[in-house]
Amino acid sequence: MKPTPDGWPRISSCLFYEDPKRAIAWLCKVFGFELRLLVETGAGGVAHSELVYGDGLIMVGTNDSEHWKSPRAAGGCTQSLMLIVDDVEAHLAHAKANGAEIYRELATSDYGDEYWSDRTYGALDCEGHRWWFTQRMKTGNPEWSKVRNKHDRHG
Amino acid sequence: MSSTRTGIQRIVPSLAYADAPAAITFLCKAFGFTETFRYPMPDGRVGHAELSYEGNMIALASVFEGFGETPLKLPATSCTLWCYVDDVDAHRDRALEAGATITSDMVEDHGLRFYRASDPEGHRWVFAKELA
Repeated sequence: MKPTPDGWPRISSCLFYEDPKRAIAWLCKVFGFELRLLVETGAGGVAHSELVYGDGLIMVGTNDSEHWKSPRAAGGCTQSLMLIVDDVEAHLAHAKANGAEIYRELATSDYGDEYWSDRTYGALDCEGHRWWFTQRMKTGNPEWSKVRNKHDRHG
Repeated sequence: MSSTRTGIQRIVPSLAYADAPAAITFLCKAFGFTETFRYPMPDGRVGHAELSYEGNMIALASVFEGFGETPLKLPATSCTLWCYVDDVDAHRDRALEAGATITSDMVEDHGLRFYRASDPEGHRWVFAKELA
């Protein structure tokens, strides 16, 4: 398969907000994203935006369609985003100090020798999108890709 | 920043489905994902599943408290997933054949050729190819 366009992961998510400009500022300040591109509409709204975290990318879009709404406007969230960070404790301390709502306290989940161990907390952003911030504590068996296909392990 | 392990990107979207097993079948058949991991629950729900598209992953799970809601139960989705593919026309044909709803047919704009689709529970997707 051909490589993706420069600076783009193969799969990325566009998140919708009622107030995308405020959301962009919030995501940069609280979660540590950097604004890479902002395309404004004539009226000063957000036509398109790209926010990066390391080699990760999200787009922040406007709630301008009946099909796309911020979780706050829709009454629920249809995805959670997992983001891999280097130091989850520092990330949590920074997010908390800047007003993120923590819905899942920091905890380590160890899935056993064949799998991995993650230290994760869950937070809601300014309009209710759900995020998990994860630090990988231990990788599993190098043969994990084969092990992971054994669906019967937990069946 | 340290790199993520092979096979996982920095940010992984995880979608909530009312019928996760059916969703896995659909996403593989219609959109070309490959199932790489499934954690089945005793009650038939899926606690966690991972699907790969050319080595890049999404996750999904059955709806549960504190995770997410299916778009079926909401007036709208809170995100759209973007995915780059090599042959976007063939991808659209395959998706259509497998029962995807094409919400916006192929257009060329901003250097991309892309279409929009929704899956059976209403999650929204964009499949795009970069124009040479």
